[in-house]
Amino acid sequence: MKLFCRILITLVLLGSNNVLADVVVECPTWADPGHTQIDYTGGTFADGNSDGMIRADDGEITDPISATQVCLHLAAGDGLVNMADGYEQYMFGFANATGTAAADVLNTFMEGAVFPAPTIKVKQGDDVYITLTNVGMNRRPDLFDPHTVHWHGFPNASAIFDGVPDASVSINMGSSLTYFYHVVDPGTFMYHCHVEATEHMQMGMLGNLYVTASQDEVANGTVLGTYTKQAGDRFAYNDGDGSTRYDVDYPLQLAAFDPAFHDASLNVQTLPFADMDDKYPMFNGRGYPDTLAAAGALPYEHGASSPVSTLMTPTAGDRMLIRISSLSTTSFHTIGIFGLKMQVIGRGSRQVVEPYTTNSITIGGGESVDVIVDTTGTTAGDKYFLYATNLDHLSNDAEDYGGMMTEIQIQ
Amino acid sequence: MILIKRQLEYSGLIMLAMLLCLIPVSGGAAIQGISGTSFNFTASSGHISAADGDDVFFWGFGERGKLPQYPGPTLIVQQGDTVTIRLNNHLPQNTSILIPGFKVQASGGTPGQITREAPAASTTEVVYTFIADRPGTFGYYSGTNPDLQVEMGLIGAIIVRPSGFSSSAPTAYGDARTAYDDEFLFLLSEMDPEIHHAVEIGTDPVPTTGFHPVLWFINGRNGPDTMSANHVTWLPNQPYNAMPSIEVGKRLLARWVGGGRDHHPFHTHGNNYDLIARDGYLLETTAGASRPASELGTVPDLAVSDFTQNVAPGGSYEGIWSWTGAELGWDMYGHTGSETGVCEPGPAPPSTIVNGFDINTREYCLDHGKPLPVVLPNAQQLTFGGFYSGSPFLASEGSLPPGEGGNNPSAGYAFMWHSHNEKELTNNDIFPGGLMTIMIVNAPDM
Repeated sequence: MKLFCRILITLVLLGSNNVLADVVVECPTWADPGHTQIDYTGGTFADGNSDGMIRADDGEITDPISATQVCLHLAAGDGLVNMADGYEQYMFGFANATGTAAADVLNTFMEGAVFPAPTIKVKQGDDVYITLTNVGMNRRPDLFDPHTVHWHGFPNASAIFDGVPDASVSINMGSSLTYFYHVVDPGTFMYHCHVEATEHMQMGMLGNLYVTASQDEVANGTVLGTYTKQAGDRFAYNDGDGSTRYDVDYPLQLAAFDPAFHDASLNVQTLPFADMDDKYPMFNGRGYPDTLAAAGALPYEHGASSPVSTLMTPTAGDRMLIRISSLSTTSFHTIGIFGLKMQVIGRGSRQVVEPYTTNSITIGGGESVDVIVDTTGTTAGDKYFLYATNLDHLSNDAEDYGGMMTEIQIQ
Repeated sequence: MILIKRQLEYSGLIMLAMLLCLIPVSGGAAIQGISGTSFNFTASSGHISAADGDDVFFWGFGERGKLPQYPGPTLIVQQGDTVTIRLNNHLPQNTSILIPGFKVQASGGTPGQITREAPAASTTEVVYTFIADRPGTFGYYSGTNPDLQVEMGLIGAIIVRPSGFSSSAPTAYGDARTAYDDEFLFLLSEMDPEIHHAVEIGTDPVPTTGFHPVLWFINGRNGPDTMSANHVTWLPNQPYNAMPSIEVGKRLLARWVGGGRDHHPFHTHGNNYDLIARDGYLLETTAGASRPASELGTVPDLAVSDFTQNVAPGGSYEGIWSWTGAELGWDMYGHTGSETGVCEPGPAPPSTIVNGFDINTREYCLDHGKPLPVVLPNAQQLTFGGFYSGSPFLASEGSLPPGEGGNNPSAGYAFMWHSHNEKELTNNDIFPGGLMTIMIVNAPDM
């Protein structure tokens, strides 16, 4: 069946080659020494350092349009992912196709979507090109859904690059659309597909996205108000006083799956929108205890898990930045850490005017909150649980002691 | 009196899908409501039209002699006014009005659990009087059997204008930090039609504990009806729309009210807003303290910039939102840079640049003439939205396949404003709809 579908989709695409569909990666470069002509699609580049993106400042783009140019290529389609109780879920999602030759993208990434979507981490000031290629739904050849990238929270977004299908355009199966973002502000954002948003987001087209601050680049010893920058310091925002300083950061994206919805999708049944009821609350695509396992997909009897680990391993004394975002489609969640306090220093991709300390963060879909956890006073070997204090969210469907929970293991 | 600043007008037939037949003739609209100091209300029953085609039995407040409406009339009053609401009740059970945020005196009617009530099926009035002693946005709702009556539709909003309010230079709280060019109300609510059906057929007691909402509303309408004009004839009990628009570089005041029993995370595509007040209280350290707004002008110093507002039941929130197009990295009009009189540096010819923006086009001049950084795929590779003008550029139209686009004749930039509990973008199992509307950012009228 899978082979048949793949052939069917390939035939549809081949039959319309160069007219209806075309995989085109846009990472524009200067075509001439005088920098008057732009070559939009013919540039030469490779992800030399395997960081998942092509960066001019890593020397990976010949003749870049800007010194801060970054190019990414996402494939959008379907895939499968295992929940922490072993249950395999059909999903829609993204995969990182950066560096894959255009001619190989459809075959490589068909049914290759991962959950959560690849984390996008860029720097303030970057000129980011994200090419999105719709590779089709291999398990659902009856679907011809377009896809988009919505950079949630992008300031002064243009409609054309906002990814809302009603407001502009979305990309059809077998074709590519390139988005452009001049990244002005640091902060914690998120991204997702906005096509048939209730369905595509419940199905898993969700990912972490954050922008590091230009204050990271200042020289050690630079005086920032009452603080002097030390080696290794990084900053959530351009605070001017070191107040958002951190040693180690962890993106923490909340999302949840309703297996009835996913199974209905796989089995070509009417989708239960009104009865949508999430049973798999997750951190970064995993339920506890899978959240603790190292990065890389965990093998299950059928398939594999999310590849993203959410184990947090600060050294005692570290200031941890946790970039919390929620793309849950049904619920608010409240997050707490048993034994450590959180200082809220950012929300909605901006530094907060008045930081405050708390034991709990309540967050709805589409919200982001940045918290600093100071591990001063802890000892190597200490273990703290970070979890949803909605205790019914600590489950993997019928399995208890699961869901939205991970550990902070002090080194 | 019905306040009409600029009337949204649409022609054409509204179909179920939002992509069809919405043809705004002119953009912009003021908050609809009734002004004055003395209001005569009747609570009665009727039917509202859900966007899935359902006719939902409801209880609503209405001006006496007129239809009940969902939500009840938005009261627009002046700070310092003594406001009187006289309520009588055609419903089969007592009802009442609570106005949190004010010290309300109740008289007449019959005693109730929380306040005095208008007796069921009677012409006997209960009278509520309060001094609107502070400006802001407030909700009102039934204080009688509210578990059922709020669900049934007995909710509304009150806007209190600050002392010295001028409609030509409006502010929310009387100073420049809260100044705005256009304002919009977003009263958020939800319904479980099973409860309404049980009430309609006389089930007693009504089962409200199994609350399972499947309809979500802004100002009493589901998407896409949120985008139809105010007072359309086919929604006689739902007179208020929720379709914001603003010009580039102007300040929009968003007034959110939580009218139901669930929280709703309301996401503003296009830009962050600055939350300036909660429940009618400015977010400031001391009176008058300010900080620069995220985009334009100033806001109270403790204003919170965010892209999603958690609108809680019974809460109200006010945010200043703007869209300037600054630092897109390309010219939003698609200018080539050779246009005369646009982003001209001074002194000769006279400069058209103030604070980095052209005074006429309001474009960000450092991006003037910069090309779109990518090449868009051809039309066969794209699916087009109803609000797409056919061009990535503001105020430009491009060619679209027959039947595509058409909802955005001013070729503004369209941004979805919606609940980010994405389940709420449905109308009883049908996507799209629900707690959703479209914001249009228009080029200045040059």
